[in-house]
Amino acid sequence: MTDLINGLLQESISGIALGCIYALIALGFTLIYKATEVVNFAQGELMMVGAYVNFFFVTTFVSSAGEPTLWIFIIALVGSIIFALAFGWILDLIINRPLKDAPIFSVIMATISLSIILRAIVAMIAGPMSLLPVSPFGNDVIHIGSVVISILDLFIIGSAVILVLMFYYFFHKTRWGIATQATSEDPIAAQLMGIPVNRVRGLVWVFSALVATIAGILLAPRLSLLDTSMGFLGLKAFPAAVLGGFGSIGGAIVGGIILGVIETISIGTLSFHFQWIKEINDIIVWIVLIAVLMVKPDGLFGVEKVKKV
Amino acid sequence: MKIKTGLLVILGLLFIGCGKQAPVPGVTDTEILIGNIQDLSGPMKELGAVLPAGSRLYFRYINEKGGVHGRQIKMLVEDHQYNPQKAVVAAKKLIEKDQVFCLFQVIGTSTCEAIRPLLAESGTPLIAPATQSGTMSDLSRPAGDLIFHTDTGYDKQTNILVDYILKQDANAKIGLIYQDDDYGQNVLKGAAEAEDRTGVSIQKEAFQRGATDFTGQVGNLIKGGANHVIIAGVVKEPIIVMKTAEKMGYSPQFYGTSPTMDHRVALAAGPAGEGFIAANFAHLWNSDAPAAVQYRELCEKYEVPEAYMGMYHFYGFITAKVLVEGLERAGKNPTRKRLVKGLETLNKWDSGAFPPITYSSKDHAGTESVILVQVKDGVQTVITDWVD
Repeated sequence: MTDLINGLLQESISGIALGCIYALIALGFTLIYKATEVVNFAQGELMMVGAYVNFFFVTTFVSSAGEPTLWIFIIALVGSIIFALAFGWILDLIINRPLKDAPIFSVIMATISLSIILRAIVAMIAGPMSLLPVSPFGNDVIHIGSVVISILDLFIIGSAVILVLMFYYFFHKTRWGIATQATSEDPIAAQLMGIPVNRVRGLVWVFSALVATIAGILLAPRLSLLDTSMGFLGLKAFPAAVLGGFGSIGGAIVGGIILGVIETISIGTLSFHFQWIKEINDIIVWIVLIAVLMVKPDGLFGVEKVKKV
Repeated sequence: MKIKTGLLVILGLLFIGCGKQAPVPGVTDTEILIGNIQDLSGPMKELGAVLPAGSRLYFRYINEKGGVHGRQIKMLVEDHQYNPQKAVVAAKKLIEKDQVFCLFQVIGTSTCEAIRPLLAESGTPLIAPATQSGTMSDLSRPAGDLIFHTDTGYDKQTNILVDYILKQDANAKIGLIYQDDDYGQNVLKGAAEAEDRTGVSIQKEAFQRGATDFTGQVGNLIKGGANHVIIAGVVKEPIIVMKTAEKMGYSPQFYGTSPTMDHRVALAAGPAGEGFIAANFAHLWNSDAPAAVQYRELCEKYEVPEAYMGMYHFYGFITAKVLVEGLERAGKNPTRKRLVKGLETLNKWDSGAFPPITYSSKDHAGTESVILVQVKDGVQTVITDWVD
């Protein structure tokens, strides 16, 4: 029995860290959806680009300074964040603004095209071979009872929680946040109320590029190798966003964590103790998703939208 | 008189017609055209550019020496993005439109399986498919008689690894982490054979392709008490598994099938990867094997960029050697049938890199052994000769 509980605890911690990565990508989906009702299918690729840019900064600085020091990682992080802000702004200019009155399908198609183009551009610049990311966390771990937690995982969890709290605060307590929500609900009315709708929408693209970059920087050392297929993880974060309730910030993190934990414990301890779970490992996440949607069609934290006629 | 001349002309034409066979696809007096299908823009694109480049290096060398029986080798490369449907489209284009003589080095198990019917229908041989799945040399499948495999299969590799483990430690408890797809199925087949043969029971843990977390599998192996663990993954998986094991204070001897035989495993896993043993179906590119020496000389001569050089580029090079040997043996007037017959005469033929290759009409596997390569002080070191 202790075996079972220890196993579940150990895997849950890893699952939460993995889930927080999903959550950060899902948060990116959510931000853009909240303001524009569009799903950005390039979110995973934004994360991949962020990871590559950070890799580029770290290796450039390390090659000029010789040793990877903590300062190098901090400067590289700041550099990557500045890049993310600029990148988000550019995406707003080339995707968001020109398509602001286009049908939603056009925008979605544009984001899918963007994802393919980004993968190709990164592969062209960085070459097809995967890279070895350097991380400031090394392989250090801490022990709590019989459970082992890596410092990197703690950092991932911490960053996700901080970002989610920040955005929660932004959307619910600040003028700009409330303006964003208003833009999402009724852009025309929002505009009539004096909300700069275009700027609000631009802002969420910048935010989601930022979140994606941070997710990429945290995920790369966990994957040990950096390659352009990293962006495909965005497709795994999509069910997390739906599970939590698309458009809900708290839902993104809860959905991400639930999926991450289910994934790790079902293939781990549960498979070890219950043979039948081993057989359904690859579909268990989807079973949970459908079960939740049957009970709550808008996801765990989704708000049912009622339109008055 | 006129009738006589006319008859003679007709007779003459008939003779010419008899002497000259129907043209063989892809073969002219000066050229042999072969087709290659790689993943140039999908998940395996890392290899897509590098494998054919390695083959081209050898073709260039042969072409500059005058080609095969006076014919220059030319290779067309198509992209299948590791997608079986696209592989079929690409193969159709190469066989029907471009009229290639044979296919060569097509990468991936599922993609090669998908084009079997096309090969069988058109009688096009496929030489050296770039996959280590043992199913490639299964003669009972469609086009089995047309496919010549050069790599020791995963099933065979798993058998060899289990035997090696039991030789080191007769009481070994063996664990296996495998990718839950056709690759893993072939590994499981080998594991089941080894279990039947030796009586040991192997603890099997699956993972999905693209998995990024192995805490569960490693935890289960700890609980199961495995002290020798075989990882049937590619590059990322052995790194993450060994790092996770180190984190959890678990230190069995780790082994890997041939796709894990990549120097980046040692680089990225660091201390956690020390001692890792991988099976490989050919000598290393930086070894003293004759083909490796020739390879490095040609790389220098033709100024191959350093980024290309390595195991995959070398693999492209040595599979090209097998193809060229087949073309030589197909004779001065090659046909697809003569290529097959020619390859089937290979008997313990030494390519200088693969184990001695023997093909016959009953065996298209070619090789059955591997070398084992261990990471020692962060460097890949060959620790055995060919083992089978």
